[in-house]
Amino acid sequence: MTKLLDLGIIRIHDLLKNMMSLAEITYVDAIEAYKKDDIIPKSSYKNSEKLRMLQEEITELATELIARYQPVATDLRFIKSSLEISYNISRFGRYSFDIVDLLQESGPLIDCDKSSVLEMSKTVMNIISICFNSILTQDTKKLEELYELENKVDIQYKKFLRDIIQNQKSLKNNFERRDSINCSLTSLLILRYLERISDHACSIADSVNYIKTGKSSPRL
Amino acid sequence: MKINNLNVGFNKKEVLKKINLDITAKKVTAFIGPSGCGKTTLIRCLNRMHEMTQGAYVKGDIFLDNTNIYDQKVNPITVKRRIGMVFQKPNPFPTMSIFDNVASGLKLNGVKDKALIQRIVKESLEGAALWEEVKNELNQPGISLSGGQQQRLCIARSLAMHPEVLLMDEPTSALDPIASAKIEDLIHELKKYLTIVIVTHNMQQAARVSDYTAFMYLGELIEFGKTKEIFENPKKELTERYLSGKFG
Repeated sequence: MTKLLDLGIIRIHDLLKNMMSLAEITYVDAIEAYKKDDIIPKSSYKNSEKLRMLQEEITELATELIARYQPVATDLRFIKSSLEISYNISRFGRYSFDIVDLLQESGPLIDCDKSSVLEMSKTVMNIISICFNSILTQDTKKLEELYELENKVDIQYKKFLRDIIQNQKSLKNNFERRDSINCSLTSLLILRYLERISDHACSIADSVNYIKTGKSSPRL
Repeated sequence: MKINNLNVGFNKKEVLKKINLDITAKKVTAFIGPSGCGKTTLIRCLNRMHEMTQGAYVKGDIFLDNTNIYDQKVNPITVKRRIGMVFQKPNPFPTMSIFDNVASGLKLNGVKDKALIQRIVKESLEGAALWEEVKNELNQPGISLSGGQQQRLCIARSLAMHPEVLLMDEPTSALDPIASAKIEDLIHELKKYLTIVIVTHNMQQAARVSDYTAFMYLGELIEFGKTKEIFENPKKELTERYLSGKFG
């Protein structure tokens, strides 16, 4: 006989799956829009909002399960972590929407060097994949790789920041600066959003580790 | 208290096997486990009540401070004075008043100073969070009180002997939720100056009131640790399965 608590936990699993799928689509759309420079996905805001609603639903359900069934052990750890995981996934959606929103403001970026952003976006996509896979399988084996990739993203972001500052200083006149500022600012902000996404992925990895081992972040 | 290699049974039936456990002073330790796992037997060993049953045997040591309470030189009555007990069903002496119920232990031990008895009765009822409710009816029969009040009267009766340890064998199982909550609040207050050991079938109660939890199964101590650890991250799969309601 299925326990009522188990039904609630299955429902949270389903909601998390929906969130992961939606967050991935929203992220891929945002990066494609940047890459191709001509497709601005209209669904980004809607997806981001939907992710927030799903997060709310998980919060409501998790609170109800704790209040009604006083879960313990693995059940408790999963329900507690689902609150944090859902919040972090919703942030993936929000930052992806921020990228699209920025592209609308910045206008065409045809002449910009996009290599740094695209390189980092691949690393972040890899991070997202490992992260979502760890949620689905509750497997902690690849989390170490995720933490290393996140570290790489941090280093890339800081390097790019230094390069931009250096580049702006070296430009000869205001005309050159005006032309480059749009590219630099857009790249910098997108890299910042990507860095934030990878940071949230690490928080998710911490939660998966906690569900599995009962211990807080292995990074601490 | 320290339990060392305790084996307990009745006649040829072994009920507890090789129990080793340290009970921390001025903390609440809960014994949990499915029916028949031996938790009540274990708590009854802690003040030598188990041996009062015909055919019962106890092997091993239980230390209170540095005294082995099973040492042949130790008087079991002294043990029961130092280690009080409250049972599942409130059991006030039916023919005695509220006052006399609390004073009974003192009188049995030869205390005759009326002023002293009155002071201890008041302190004990206050300690059991009952004084305000009964101070104007101390001469009424103990059994005239509600179930929850009777249980707190029994706690007051134990407190009057100034025990160092209080054993509680499912103290709220016969009480409604409000009365149970009062007992739980009381346990929280009492642990400031008493070591408390509680047997409970209610896992949420163990999670709420205890600092340490011991999970028992088929007469063995399966896992023991801080309550937060046991309920959030049990080490043994058997504990996890029991707590999650997979069996028991």
